[in-house]
Amino acid sequence: MKLKTILWAALTFAVLLYLIAPIAVLIFSAFDDGKFFRFPPRELSLRWFRAALDSSEYRSALVNSTIIACLASVLSVTFGMMAALGLTRGGLRSRPAIEILLLAPLTLPLVVWAIALIQIYARLGLSGSFWGLLLAHTIIILPLSVRILMATLSNIDPNLEDAARSLGARPMRAFARTTLPLAMPGVLTSAAFGFLISFNDVVVTTFIAGASWMTFPVRMYSQLRGQGVDPITLAIGAMIVALTLVIVALGEARFKWSRRI
Amino acid sequence: MHVKPKLTLTSALTAVGLTASIATAQDFSGQTLIVGTWGGDIERLLKEHAAAPLEEKTGAKVEFLLGGSGDRMAKIYAERQNPTMDVTFQNIYEAPQLLADDLVVAPDPELDIYETVWDGMNDGCYAMSLVGLGIAYSKDLVPEPPEWADMWKPEYNGMIAMAPYPSSEGDGLLGVAARLEGADEHDADVAFAKVAELGEPALTYTSLDEVFALMEAGEVAMAPMISGYVLAGLKEFPGIGFSFPTDPGPVLIRDMVCQVKNSPNPELAQMFIEYALSAETQKAYAEEIYFGPTNSTVKLSESAAADTINSPEEVESLLALDWPWLIEQRADWTERWNKDIMGQ
Amino acid sequence: MSIWSQPPGSLILDPTPTMENYVRIAGDGYYIRGLLRTLWLSLSTTAIAALLALPLSWWIVLRAGRFRGLMLTLVLIPMVCGALLPTLGLMNLLGPLGVINGTLKSLGLIDRSWKMLGNQTGILIGLVHAFLPLMVLPLVSALDRLPADVESAAMSLGANRRKVWRRVILPLAAPGLIAGSALVFCAALTSFVTPLILGQGKVATFATMAYQQASLVLDWPFASALAVVMLVILALIGAGAWGAQRWAADTP
Repeated sequence: MKLKTILWAALTFAVLLYLIAPIAVLIFSAFDDGKFFRFPPRELSLRWFRAALDSSEYRSALVNSTIIACLASVLSVTFGMMAALGLTRGGLRSRPAIEILLLAPLTLPLVVWAIALIQIYARLGLSGSFWGLLLAHTIIILPLSVRILMATLSNIDPNLEDAARSLGARPMRAFARTTLPLAMPGVLTSAAFGFLISFNDVVVTTFIAGASWMTFPVRMYSQLRGQGVDPITLAIGAMIVALTLVIVALGEARFKWSRRI
Repeated sequence: MHVKPKLTLTSALTAVGLTASIATAQDFSGQTLIVGTWGGDIERLLKEHAAAPLEEKTGAKVEFLLGGSGDRMAKIYAERQNPTMDVTFQNIYEAPQLLADDLVVAPDPELDIYETVWDGMNDGCYAMSLVGLGIAYSKDLVPEPPEWADMWKPEYNGMIAMAPYPSSEGDGLLGVAARLEGADEHDADVAFAKVAELGEPALTYTSLDEVFALMEAGEVAMAPMISGYVLAGLKEFPGIGFSFPTDPGPVLIRDMVCQVKNSPNPELAQMFIEYALSAETQKAYAEEIYFGPTNSTVKLSESAAADTINSPEEVESLLALDWPWLIEQRADWTERWNKDIMGQ
Repeated sequence: MSIWSQPPGSLILDPTPTMENYVRIAGDGYYIRGLLRTLWLSLSTTAIAALLALPLSWWIVLRAGRFRGLMLTLVLIPMVCGALLPTLGLMNLLGPLGVINGTLKSLGLIDRSWKMLGNQTGILIGLVHAFLPLMVLPLVSALDRLPADVESAAMSLGANRRKVWRRVILPLAAPGLIAGSALVFCAALTSFVTPLILGQGKVATFATMAYQQASLVLDWPFASALAVVMLVILALIGAGAWGAQRWAADTP
């Protein structure tokens, strides 16, 4: 019994270690002084972090990524909320089918989707524009937003809103005063995930983005395709991962994100 | 180190000619020229030597769209009704294809800049830089600068790194392999059989530094690589050399600069290309990243001249492959490469 | 678009409908083998993920106590970092000059690198890493429905540990397991960054073939045909998972 518990715990921690190790190595390798990581490292330095902060190209790419990710997550939460309200309150019988359909885009090969999209954009004259990129990002994250929001809404009693309305509140106000505050954790969760997905997208943005809206991952990927892994990108990657960790840890502590997906 | 290019008499003359042709241009302020190219050193050099003077001269803005040349091909074809890119940098086999599909403006023999480029190189688009496929090698494992045939020595079996296919490196290696057997690239069976004899590649590299690190660690002996970046990168790795073989010579690979057909800013695009092909930009390409100039009037420092393809004789010694034919084989060859070479 | 073609030597699409692309996929053992390899890799990924996720989720739900939040955060990490960064990390971990080989070499245990990249092992390690969260999360929410004292209650009624697992825990976990398996399987089937980088071009999966055709060979109709085949498989699996979930929900 005792031994079994210890074995069980050891197994659990081995699995956790396996999940964390690559990220830890990534962060660690950003401190390696050489251009290509090798273990054991010959010298440690902050050289790549300094170079990253000095590079105006990377700075502007990071700013672009942040702007687009913020706007796209706000948009997708707004539309996602409308869709989720319709789906949960509408009393549709086909709901399980819709839930599966909503998962499909998460697993679609994005390359093919991106090539189809760029042809549509070219017809519409949207290619290379900021709005086209924003629309594409909103579409990528929308299914996940709807899913998270549906899960949130189905735990909220619709009678509350009805009650508010029967007491004379207008529909918008009833929604804003009863359902929305209760759904807030779900809204924030879906916004945060939307932000992270949009911020990290390479495939679609490579095809859609115009010259003036180069995002950070695209910049990193184009560097990877041209001259290989640039340690500067590793340094920035390490910083992004660290930031992501903080956001996720806060979200988990505050809103129990893991129960909402 | 940044080497400030010295203005020689010829480049000064070209510069004067250039100024003259641009002086007649009207005011372009408020317009934005979109140039598609590779990220990294190429982007930096183009920014310094072509975009900056163009912006100063015309008041227009130049923006760069970064990515791989395949991504740009996809974009040009998808947007062919309504292009957004004005100038694009493509590789040797993509340019003729773009011209054949009528998506780029054919090089204009009337332009001064056409004349200064080595004869016969403006194939599809304007030739931007000359590089050759040679052999990077570990000085520990390979004592002498190798010839192509040395890669097939039994002691190096399984210790050759290769670039992913499709790529000009892969086609180049197939062309060389066929010639070692007395055939040429049109005989695909011979080419693939010979390359397969090299054994499973030690590494399919995506990054130059990856190859260099593995060469230093003794895991990779040789890799067919394109001069240019490689020679610039090698300055940090004393244990690694680069050889331009002679039998056959290095495979000619050149980057091309194209003006997209029906693009929003054709005049600016042409001016940008003139700046890109100017002696000054070409010299910077050669001195800093060892990309050989296509502009025949460029005079280089001794160290850059040694590591780049820049004299008529060197240009003559390069092995030219039948690229238009190769591009037609692309789908079949990719499958064969996956099966025969990568052992999938 | 998958029924279009490109004339040889050109990339302009010819929109005359043709089944050529599908004939090419079906007629050549190469693509069929690739498809089987992909299915095999995805199945193994799903199985390994399930094996690792079951004890982990069980521990998180019943034993972790106040560390639950922390452990779930750790589980979420690979999912929110995108595909590229963790894969680069794995390269530095498993590569010939990576942490594992470096350690073994400096301990004098090996002198030439142990190859973990460029074969199916490397891809499996990467795929399981990337998609384990998709298995753990549904499992945790399924197991959450277990009363905290279910184990001791069942045991006090005379059931032994194995019986508790078979009769109580596994049936309750089944819907989560099915949902997680479907997610992991689909994600593994279409993932291309992981097999592309960790397979180093030596192991082709259906998604890397589609990527190669779309981004490098620029044969978009053929890439679309490959994608359509993948979509059909996904749809079948989706329908299967839905059916299985209903069945699991109906079975007491």
